[in-house]
Amino acid sequence: MSLDYRTLFEALRPEGALIIGALAVLGFDLSILRRLSESLRYRASLAVGAAAVVVAGCLACCGPYGPVFGGVLILDRLAVATRIGVLSLTLIALGTVASGQKLRHSAEYVAIMLFAASGLTLMAATQQLLVAFLALELASLSLYILAGFDKARPEAAEAGLKYFLFGGMAAAFLLFGFSLIYGLTGSVDLPEIAARLAAHAPGPLLMVALIMVLVAFGFKAAAAPFHLWAPDVYEGAATGSASFIASASKLAGITFFTRILWTGFYPVSGDASSLPLAPGWVPALAAVAGFSMLVGNFGALAQTNIRRLLAYSAISHSGALLLGVIAVGDFGVGPLFYYAFTYGIAVAGAFTVISVVEKSGPCQKITDLGGLFQRAPFLTGCLAIFTLSLAGIPPLAGFFGKFSVFASVLRLGGLGGPVGWLVVLAIALSAVALYYYLIVLKQALVTPAAQGATRIVVAPVAATTLALAAVLIVLLGLRPSLILSLF
Amino acid sequence: MIHHPLELCLVFSSLLFCIGLAGALSRSNSILVLLGIELMLNAANLNFVAFWRYGPSPAPATGIVFVAFSVAVAAAEAAVGLALVISIYRRQRSIRLQEAVRLKG
Repeated sequence: MSLDYRTLFEALRPEGALIIGALAVLGFDLSILRRLSESLRYRASLAVGAAAVVVAGCLACCGPYGPVFGGVLILDRLAVATRIGVLSLTLIALGTVASGQKLRHSAEYVAIMLFAASGLTLMAATQQLLVAFLALELASLSLYILAGFDKARPEAAEAGLKYFLFGGMAAAFLLFGFSLIYGLTGSVDLPEIAARLAAHAPGPLLMVALIMVLVAFGFKAAAAPFHLWAPDVYEGAATGSASFIASASKLAGITFFTRILWTGFYPVSGDASSLPLAPGWVPALAAVAGFSMLVGNFGALAQTNIRRLLAYSAISHSGALLLGVIAVGDFGVGPLFYYAFTYGIAVAGAFTVISVVEKSGPCQKITDLGGLFQRAPFLTGCLAIFTLSLAGIPPLAGFFGKFSVFASVLRLGGLGGPVGWLVVLAIALSAVALYYYLIVLKQALVTPAAQGATRIVVAPVAATTLALAAVLIVLLGLRPSLILSLF
Repeated sequence: MIHHPLELCLVFSSLLFCIGLAGALSRSNSILVLLGIELMLNAANLNFVAFWRYGPSPAPATGIVFVAFSVAVAAAEAAVGLALVISIYRRQRSIRLQEAVRLKG
């Protein structure tokens, strides 16, 4: 094992930039900005945070390539793309924060968001169980704080606590599963684990370990039946936090699962593309994916709260993404990354719209969006692009994401096996999804505004964020090869 | 009947994990749920130490290093958890989870 500290340093430059940025935000806020007004401090912290994210993004583009530090980290195309994707979604989430109501202690908020982002970028590149666990916990602990940060609202504390309790349990499951895998294979490096697993016949202890790891992944990805925290967190957390949790953490999480499952547990993947099923984690993942799509789509139908609706739609998208993970082994990560990234942009954009509306009044119920077209045509246009992309309407990016993921899953075994049936189910449920997304749009476009509702002024930062996200959605929808040709 | 010490360790850690899980799922006091989660994490730590000590390849200190890190992570987790418990206590003057029902649906 060659330990090359210089390459390690070069590989970790984006994380370094984020940490230095976080410390700079805190330092400035404690020293220079202390005497200035609250709103100036707010803007300065966000600007420093955004600068750190941009620098980290540039450094992520031009780092070393291949295994780093004896294979502890791997910087392949997926890792680099996910890092850049996570950082751009962090930028959008900072835009969400900037366009919403002012939070107290903004410097701490931005610093914790940068810590979370560094955990997520590390998750994207890890290839060893210890670093994987540490990166996941760095990201998760920061996300719990972000969810409970908004002390002005009692819901936030509750959302944070629920997120923490569920997430902590998931972490314990993950650690227990990892410990069993370490015991069975004697290694914590994913390629070596795969080699050792291939040499031995799978035993019952391995199945227990796999189930524990999958339970933890289900919690983290908010897949049914482990989804219970998601609606509460999306509803209670500050809008910026919800946007970040829904977008960046989901993208990094999917890359993380894909890496661990396909690099580490490849020999015990099993098969679900045709009957009879071969035991392994693929059939379990397929079952979780199908259940998530059902629970997510039918749960969303019953919602009257826009954030809970987005949460249930996130659960159903998790199902589709987990379905995409199954196809990675044969057809590459391109479709999965494209889907996760464009989904992140669309959902972060939708939260940004909510955040802007919230400035001039509450935005919890779907009816709070009533008459948005008269109050702010630009916001309505952006909201239409984001929700239609989430629903999967061509030519927006959401359509092509779903299309490419489902096509790659179908190529596994056609319509003859359980995975093929799940694709049919997913396509049928897309029609259900279209219904609840159109309810949101109907409120915004058709329903008249409530009495006394005023025009909403869209601040320049918010307008830039929204325009950027909307342009990305349209552009990537028209030219999917911009991303797919990378893989 | 004498068992291999590794088996005994695994049985003990599985029991510890189950007790922690049962506690975390059944308690209504959020600090006791936190305790349950800590028990589960410690069960996993015990596994790492046992596999490191009695496993087939005891030479590298991987297991023990993993435990050192995960103890630190558990401490950080407890700190964040207690902070969240305090922030909810300030609002509702109680840390019972039955009363944390603002968010529902």
